[in-house]
Amino acid sequence: MNDRYAPRLMRFFSFHLMPYSALPADYDGPAWVTCPNTFYDPKLGHELYNRYIDELVAAETLGFDGVCVNEHHQNAYGDMPSPNLIAAILARETTRVKVAVVGNALPLYDPPTRVAEEFAMIDVISGGRLIAGFVVGGGPEYYSFSINPAHARERFYEAHDLIMKAWTEPGPFEFIGKHYRIRYVNTWPRPLQQPHPEVWIPGVGSLETMEFVARHRYAYMGIPYFHINVFERSFRLFREACEAEGYEADPLQAGWLVPIYVAETDEQARLEYEEHFWYFVRRLLPGITIQPPGYTTVRSLENILKGAGSFAVNLKTWEEVVEGHYAIVGSPDTVADILATDIHRLGTGNLLGLFQLGTLPHDLTMKNLGLFSEEVMPKLRAEFPEGQPVTGAAAEGVA
Amino acid sequence: MTTLTEERLDTALGKVQLYRAGEGPTLVYLHSAGGEPTHGALEDLASDHTVLSPVFPGYGESEGIEQIDGMEDAVFHLLDVWDRLALDAPAVMGLSLGAWMAVELATRYPERVGRLILVNPVGLHIDGATPKELFGRPPNELAEDMFVDQSHPVAQMMHAMAEWSGDVGLQVEIPLEIVLPLYKSMAATAKLGWDPYLHNPKLRRRLARVTSPTLVVRGAQDTFVPAVHAETYAAEIPDARLEVIDGAAHLLPLEKPAELAALVRAFLDEGTA
Repeated sequence: MNDRYAPRLMRFFSFHLMPYSALPADYDGPAWVTCPNTFYDPKLGHELYNRYIDELVAAETLGFDGVCVNEHHQNAYGDMPSPNLIAAILARETTRVKVAVVGNALPLYDPPTRVAEEFAMIDVISGGRLIAGFVVGGGPEYYSFSINPAHARERFYEAHDLIMKAWTEPGPFEFIGKHYRIRYVNTWPRPLQQPHPEVWIPGVGSLETMEFVARHRYAYMGIPYFHINVFERSFRLFREACEAEGYEADPLQAGWLVPIYVAETDEQARLEYEEHFWYFVRRLLPGITIQPPGYTTVRSLENILKGAGSFAVNLKTWEEVVEGHYAIVGSPDTVADILATDIHRLGTGNLLGLFQLGTLPHDLTMKNLGLFSEEVMPKLRAEFPEGQPVTGAAAEGVA
Repeated sequence: MTTLTEERLDTALGKVQLYRAGEGPTLVYLHSAGGEPTHGALEDLASDHTVLSPVFPGYGESEGIEQIDGMEDAVFHLLDVWDRLALDAPAVMGLSLGAWMAVELATRYPERVGRLILVNPVGLHIDGATPKELFGRPPNELAEDMFVDQSHPVAQMMHAMAEWSGDVGLQVEIPLEIVLPLYKSMAATAKLGWDPYLHNPKLRRRLARVTSPTLVVRGAQDTFVPAVHAETYAAEIPDARLEVIDGAAHLLPLEKPAELAALVRAFLDEGTA
């Protein structure tokens, strides 16, 4: 086994999408943009939100290093149009874990100083536990907001510069960009972590994004639901982007998000999990891959299309799921072995486990988290001893 | 029929492709979001006109889209093209997006447009009559709005594309040499027409400023842009009339080239009579 990129350190996160679990059985349209919101039952939503928050909060006592939430709009796949609201709750309901918002879709915030403010609030309230994720936003969001996708990258980079400047330079100052013009930038509060919280950038394989993350020495999170080969390629390209910047990537600069399900035996795991995985793949993923024009450059599109055929929405059989490591499912030993091998292979220091998806009910989710915590995490911690985040390196990159 | 030949034109934004053919009074053609530089109607008209068809930045191999953010930039680019080709006030024909661009020029600089031909124009917002979705729609669905005859070669290609694009079934090998240029054209179109969607909210009240005699041509079976758009242009541009060609949808010049060329020739001849 090639151990050159094996992480020396390892952090474990519990990621939640907060999916809507009750699309009508006879609805076979997309779960995004045009999925009728009359399907949403607020009474069920009340139960789901509170249950999902409990599942995230449990990660703290189960020994995880952090919890992750993310932002999506007008869809059934993930009902956190404002992940910052959930993160604010988590900041109060937990005391130790990192709270990772992965991330805020910067081009959708106008002005983006709103992100600087809300993230700083979460960081201050949580006592410096925020991980600040910045994301371009998914293709569907450009339909839901009518923000011009041909400006997505420009807005993302400009908003990023504005937020980092707001966090690291004394206010008030004037910011005059192409998309954002603010005469008086002077955000209150300032983040507790200085010079700024750790920054994560999720990416789907776009070379521009990797180069940007490498340049700033942030961490790159691979967006999931592809064949393991696609991740291997993405993280290799990311390491090459870091080399091009003149340094070797730290494993903590890479994160792998993957659905995980642990049960007593391999057979029982599949039996309990499979139907919920298919609800996720067949009901909640359709529509997520829409690529609005100009959203990515032609150079990056080519790279993304190379992986497109292996996107999970095309999965037909459980054998394909297992073969491509779309979800890691089995007994504690099986799951620990596969994860250890894959982490060595990918070189990712952050494991972002998706322990609930689709219709997976609360009791199975809690059992999954418990078994992972008691029987999988210790093995992986022994393989990859626990360490500290790359905040120092991130700070250097911004100066 | 005269085939248009390609040359390159230096502009302030970079080199753009220019297709040219024929002798006689000048007709400038502004292409649609499809980026078609030529078609049968232009080849027909080139037998007794100088036909000039500049490819807009971001389409084909034309440079400069990074400096275009909307119709105002497009109009300045057209003025630059006009100047570099020593055109004073040529006749201008546009299809769909190109027709919208022609009207933007004609409302702001009416002295730079001779006669104006708008084929299935977009550019206006009319309540309850928004053009259908252009961006990211399955190409086979789009083909139904673009063509009456689904056996047209371009329609056939769009149906074939449905097999390897869109949201479902990305199972087959994707021909990048076809997909990437199309993606580039759509990205350029998004720069001009994503938001506001294929219109300029101020354009309608400026139509009264157009001084050019104007011919609006609509494909009777165009299901992409509701009829009221062509009707509104014809009613609110001071010297305008509407012609409808039966058996054509949105990409009318590809489907009914001879019929369009005949209408346009007669209209242009009125100006020289």
